Amino acid sequence: MRDHAVARWWLVRASWPLAAACIALASCSPESASAGAGTTVVDSVRLVASIPVLPNYGAHDTFVRDGLAFLCAWNTGVLIYDVGNGVKGGSPSNPQLISSLVTSADGVAAGPEVHNAWWFQNPVTGEKKYLFIGQEGPGTVGTSSSGDIHIVNVSNLAAPVEVGFIHINGAGTHNFWMDESRQILYAAYYNGGVVAIDVSGTLSGDMSNRIIHEVTPGGPNNTYVWGVMLSGNTLYATDMVSGFWALDPVTLATKGGGNNVPERYGSDQWVVGTVAYSGTWGGFFRTKGVPGNVVKVWQLDGNGIPTLADSVVIANTGTISDVAVSPDGKALVITTEGGTGAGLHVFSRANPLKPVEVAFVYVPQGLHTGETRVVNGRTYVFAAQDPDLPALNIYDITGVVP
Amino acid sequence: MALILIAWPVTVLGAQGFNITPMGQLIFTVDHSDPVPGGGSLTEARVVQPVLMLDGSAFGGKLAFVATADFEGLTIPHGELTPGAWGEGFVDRRHPHTYAHELTVAGNDLLGRLDGSGRLGVVVGKGFVPFGTDDPMSRPFVRYPVNHHLAQILERAIGVVQYGLGPVTIEAALFNGDEPTRPGDWPVIRTPQGTWRFGDSRAARVTVRPVQHFEVQGSLARVSSPENRDGGGPEVYKASTSARWDDHPSWGERYVLIEWERSDELGNFLVLHSLLAEAMVRRGRFALSYRFERTDRPEEPRLVDPFRTVYPNPDNDIAGITRWTLHTLHLSADLFPHGTHLGLQPYIEVTRGSVASVAGGVFDPFTEYGTDDVNALNVGLKVDWGMAGHRMGRYGVLDEPMMMMPPGAMRM
Repeated sequence: MRDHAVARWWLVRASWPLAAACIALASCSPESASAGAGTTVVDSVRLVASIPVLPNYGAHDTFVRDGLAFLCAWNTGVLIYDVGNGVKGGSPSNPQLISSLVTSADGVAAGPEVHNAWWFQNPVTGEKKYLFIGQEGPGTVGTSSSGDIHIVNVSNLAAPVEVGFIHINGAGTHNFWMDESRQILYAAYYNGGVVAIDVSGTLSGDMSNRIIHEVTPGGPNNTYVWGVMLSGNTLYATDMVSGFWALDPVTLATKGGGNNVPERYGSDQWVVGTVAYSGTWGGFFRTKGVPGNVVKVWQLDGNGIPTLADSVVIANTGTISDVAVSPDGKALVITTEGGTGAGLHVFSRANPLKPVEVAFVYVPQGLHTGETRVVNGRTYVFAAQDPDLPALNIYDITGVVP
Repeated sequence: MALILIAWPVTVLGAQGFNITPMGQLIFTVDHSDPVPGGGSLTEARVVQPVLMLDGSAFGGKLAFVATADFEGLTIPHGELTPGAWGEGFVDRRHPHTYAHELTVAGNDLLGRLDGSGRLGVVVGKGFVPFGTDDPMSRPFVRYPVNHHLAQILERAIGVVQYGLGPVTIEAALFNGDEPTRPGDWPVIRTPQGTWRFGDSRAARVTVRPVQHFEVQGSLARVSSPENRDGGGPEVYKASTSARWDDHPSWGERYVLIEWERSDELGNFLVLHSLLAEAMVRRGRFALSYRFERTDRPEEPRLVDPFRTVYPNPDNDIAGITRWTLHTLHLSADLFPHGTHLGLQPYIEVTRGSVASVAGGVFDPFTEYGTDDVNALNVGLKVDWGMAGHRMGRYGVLDEPMMMMPPGAMRM
């Protein structure tokens, strides 16, 4: 009964933004400060599915692996969809819900606030047992944060069970990355910096004692880490306050970078080969009149140390909310929030240091995140559409960048 | 026209036990704010607070109704320049109110003599929740205080039970938690998913009038998911207390209001306070008013338009809390003799003060505004027809004549 009600609600409410998104496919005219080229649509981005999410402050992130999509839907919990795995006959254009779980609030007044996830496939044991979930509790940007890492046993996808948690006093978690071969979970922890956690063996109950390292790259009162990503022998961290960092993945010691985006607040990142991209957040001006509408392009040296190579401006938007490179390395995929530039931007990486925008989908509500994955030979972006029409939008970007 | 309005009886239907009183007002104003988001200053001419109102009663006052249309959606669709203002997706601009501002029906003294001198009342409709203080529209100043969203809960679907006995009136209400997001919005009674929003929030207020002209109130409210109309947002716990004096000696009027509010959202994460004191003295045709306010404001992420915030905010994050300390002086004069139904009052209003960042976070007034000094000036002309003395947002038992200010009492 509830599902039917949701479906009716969605049919009524979704009609105009879907149409707007489709109509907007051919309209892209961002400035590209350094790339300098106008945008040309070389193929169509296709919205193949839009899955409504109950308005418990909507969808935030999606982790996609082996044809399963773990949709992080705030206080609605984590929803596990078959988007090509076959376990329930789903596909990207016809996702099938397998199960869902609302993790515990762990004393956070705002609730479970399921924000992000990582499905750990342990190459040492062969297990695909644990799903790590980030709880993004209330926070004050630059100062405080809250929320735990929740450990969910997904051995039975139809009946996931929360089995443990990791808690840090005075800080809350945000985005993850893993060194699965070393069985290390890296977590951005906002004012808590970057945290490395040993997730080998059995995980149950309070796993806070598995924390190996905690560092605040920018130092006290100058650290608010949004995301982490491991590439080669370097762990990269974007700090909203202190910029783009290169860390030693074993010790978390600083290798280089940092304090290198002084005019804006940082957001998400992606690293591939010797090039990295980091976004900027525009909730507030760090510099008068300078919005968070820039993608920083970094050249990485042999030790992984970043040097700013370029800055790509995405016009008419406020925040670069997510940054990713397609698995084939051809496309740089950016999601944005705010303004008429809000939505999905696809850039060609023909020259990785000079990305050129080739497609834009306008989404009035904005997209909070975009996970780029290949499913059954086609490349999709699993994007979280913001309130007031929260949804998982799945875009087929195959061929957009030849 | 003015003569007609002056002469027009306020109560247009006076059949036995039944009357309807039309009222209205609007203010032509030129607002100057310095600073505004992004720095610098801005000056705008606008028509604000344009309302038409019908206040009626029947059956000897046993049944009463209020209907107020507010046209700010037409005159200030992008809000009114107001330093420190926030709420409903606006910042440093006061949002326009909904077209259907009030639409309430009240049953008064339902038990008649059965409960002696007690007065049992019921109010239903759309309007003000019994919480906090009088709506700023019916107070001596034109520019709203920063604490509007801390001190009033309005434009909700309400069901209120009231009981008055002697100097004490107790009110309890159920209402919908969702705020309007645009002037055409109505309260969400039930979401498309089948969740009832009416009744998901509640409030209670105790009003005591120990002596004539003096009134104190204390009120509590729990507001569910105010920013997310479909629900799912955090609960907000609010408290308010105030003391109010208003009398009318032969030479004019004296009015004082002191209020304190607290709002707690997300389990002590976002706690906001407000302390406001205002006073007005009217002598003859001139009224001089002063307001002091110290109010906290959450700094929520902005949109590309610096006067708008992400709404609803998908993350429960803020960039800090600012504290606005403002002094406002208001001087007005009645062009027509006091007590006439048509009022024309030119005015000048000056605000000076400061904004400070408190409780950490990256929000910095100097970055946002280029300064921490706040200055505002507005001049204009208020036109009211029968609105003077009306305490907006008080219904049923609290709207009885003994609770109302004399005609013209609140003219500026």
